[in-house]
Amino acid sequence: MMRTIGLISTNYSVRGGYEQLCENRPAAAMPFGGRYRLMDFALSNLVNCGIRTVGVITPYYYRSILDHMGAGKAWSLDKKSGGLFVLPGTIYGFRDENSRFLLHDVIRNRQFLEQGDGDYVLCSDCGFIYNADYRPMLTQHENSGADITLLYKPLSPEERRSGNYLTADESGRVTALSRQESGEKLFLNCFVVTKSFLLRFLDNYRNMSHRDFLELLPALLSQVRVDSYPFTGFVGYTDGIADYLAASESLLRREVRQELFAGERQIYTRIHDEPPTAFSESAEVKNSVVSSGGHIGGSVENSVLFRGVVVEEGASVRGCILMEKTVIRAGAVLENVIADKHVTVGGGVTLRGTAEHPCLIVKGKSI
Amino acid sequence: MRRKETVAMLLAGGQGSRLGVLTEKIAKPAVSFGGKYRMIDFSLSNCVNSGIDTVGVLIQYKPFLLNKYLGTGSAWGLDEEWGGVHILPPYATESGGDWYQGTADAIYHNIDFIDGYDPEYVLVLSGDHLYQMDYNLMLDYHKLMNADLTVAVKTVPMSEASRFGIMSTDEELRITRFTEKPKEPESDLASMGIYIFRWQTLRAALLRDQELAESEHDFGKNIIPALLAEGKRLFAYVFNDYWKDVGTIPSYYATQMELLEANPAFKIFERRMRIFSNLNEHAPGYVDAAGSVKDSLCCNGCEIYGTVRRSVLSPGVYVGRGAVVEDSVLLPNSSVGENATLRRTILNENAAVAPGESVGSGDEICVVGESGTMHVKE
Repeated sequence: MMRTIGLISTNYSVRGGYEQLCENRPAAAMPFGGRYRLMDFALSNLVNCGIRTVGVITPYYYRSILDHMGAGKAWSLDKKSGGLFVLPGTIYGFRDENSRFLLHDVIRNRQFLEQGDGDYVLCSDCGFIYNADYRPMLTQHENSGADITLLYKPLSPEERRSGNYLTADESGRVTALSRQESGEKLFLNCFVVTKSFLLRFLDNYRNMSHRDFLELLPALLSQVRVDSYPFTGFVGYTDGIADYLAASESLLRREVRQELFAGERQIYTRIHDEPPTAFSESAEVKNSVVSSGGHIGGSVENSVLFRGVVVEEGASVRGCILMEKTVIRAGAVLENVIADKHVTVGGGVTLRGTAEHPCLIVKGKSI
Repeated sequence: MRRKETVAMLLAGGQGSRLGVLTEKIAKPAVSFGGKYRMIDFSLSNCVNSGIDTVGVLIQYKPFLLNKYLGTGSAWGLDEEWGGVHILPPYATESGGDWYQGTADAIYHNIDFIDGYDPEYVLVLSGDHLYQMDYNLMLDYHKLMNADLTVAVKTVPMSEASRFGIMSTDEELRITRFTEKPKEPESDLASMGIYIFRWQTLRAALLRDQELAESEHDFGKNIIPALLAEGKRLFAYVFNDYWKDVGTIPSYYATQMELLEANPAFKIFERRMRIFSNLNEHAPGYVDAAGSVKDSLCCNGCEIYGTVRRSVLSPGVYVGRGAVVEDSVLLPNSSVGENATLRRTILNENAAVAPGESVGSGDEICVVGESGTMHVKE
């Protein structure tokens, strides 16, 4: 395979109702699916197509990112040549916090691009949950001679949603890219760019470093060759709390679990070495994802339980996402609740949210 | 020269022939246990939890899975710049090569390896024992007693004593007699096969033992009696927490069933002496709306569409819709087809029970492997 380096942006925030859960962590570090964080998908997708040099642009509050990644061992990125590079991003407040590939962030870390052993750069944010084989896109990019190739998801009419959509001609060349309420080709904030082009671009746009690469792209389409490549597999969305809940619920479908986790390309994450989960005589678990290290004695339905969750006998949990080390005491009743890590819900407490407006409990809280 | 105070030598070459189909393709230390562990995890984790970062793993019988599993030792935090896990197979020399002939012979052939770290003490362990132990406490005792050899011992019922290496001691716990599997045991202090030697004492003893044509080159039968005869300082270190050497299918089965008790004696759930393993690649498990799991241990990667009671399910196990699994141990990546029934069964790694099939019942333990099914009376 041609030599490619990876660049992941974690220096952005999301709104849409779950700011509480992202107060002290970047959106990319949001826990997902019982044992992962959103960034695991972006990192694993890069590693699974053979990339072994990955730069991660971090926000200034990067504790949870570094805590999770360490030296990159879980993704086989602890390398003598290449490996994982932490690229400090621009401080919050000096920038549009939603910006994914702020030029300033990339320019400040230009040395990583220059020294990285590759002719191409595969860039991605961590906002979409999918398991993709990037190799065909990389091959297409190399063969076509395009400057940039954008990855998009073709949406059926019922799947359409607001987002960045691209328009392409018959050859796949991108003719427009803009934010729309609905469209056919949803841009997945993932693209391949030829490194020499990117470095030239950074030089030319030095004075506009407060702008986002993707934001400048539409104006360039007439001068630069931008192609597109479709990804037709499962995509989970994380634009807001309703998306996050829907993506979590989609894990209750076997075909989604199989595609994301049981194929040839593994999604890697930090290892915690939890023991198996103990289900007691009174456990009633239905249609739920249950991670390791837990103790389940109560009733659990349509839920996602992270590592080390305790649901005592007599507690009832429905439609919930309970993150790491959540403890639900006997007699508590929870419906449509998202509990962040290390939350304790006492006996006799009833918490009810709705599917549209789940009840959120912040990290470490006892109720 | 840089030195390591202590080097651990882990004996992991045994076949474990009494485990039948479970060791058909893999050595006993690689046999899955307690869901997400392999037997070798316990002594390796004990080393890590005791701060011992240099471990030689002596392999011989069908080592492929074991070698792959150990890798660089990073799963246990044993990928050290100086030290770490070393896989030590039998090797060839100018005058030919030999298999390891006994426990002591295996160490003898790796004298150069140990000398490379110039240690004060050598800790000899078995790769197939189930226990959590802080070796530092034993080492402190060894130093305090100024011992040449300290043997970890536990008290066993007199009726079972003839299965073990049995020690007689004086009131200071200095060993006065050591007999391997005595017909008429004179004590209930049994050796756990965990030894701390002063390296120079062991080194000399190994060299002398090699010269003896009649020796079986075994610690219990040869080395320890020889050291006693020389008047060396041998002490017993009493350890009465959980410790098991599961040699047979019934004890392998029963030991895992004990993990399902409310407060199991084997504290695998306690974070304090955390047990590390290298079976961590699976996504979380899933229990279907039609499934049910009670009184069981379940690992990541399990997909459960049927009914599971009083069972241990390892990573990647599949239980199909309508299937019933009771009192069973399902090893990694095994599967139970739709409407199949499993009772008192050990399903080996990667083994599959066909849809609708019925396996196990009554008072026998049924073991299903790829090459067939065996029944073992308890």
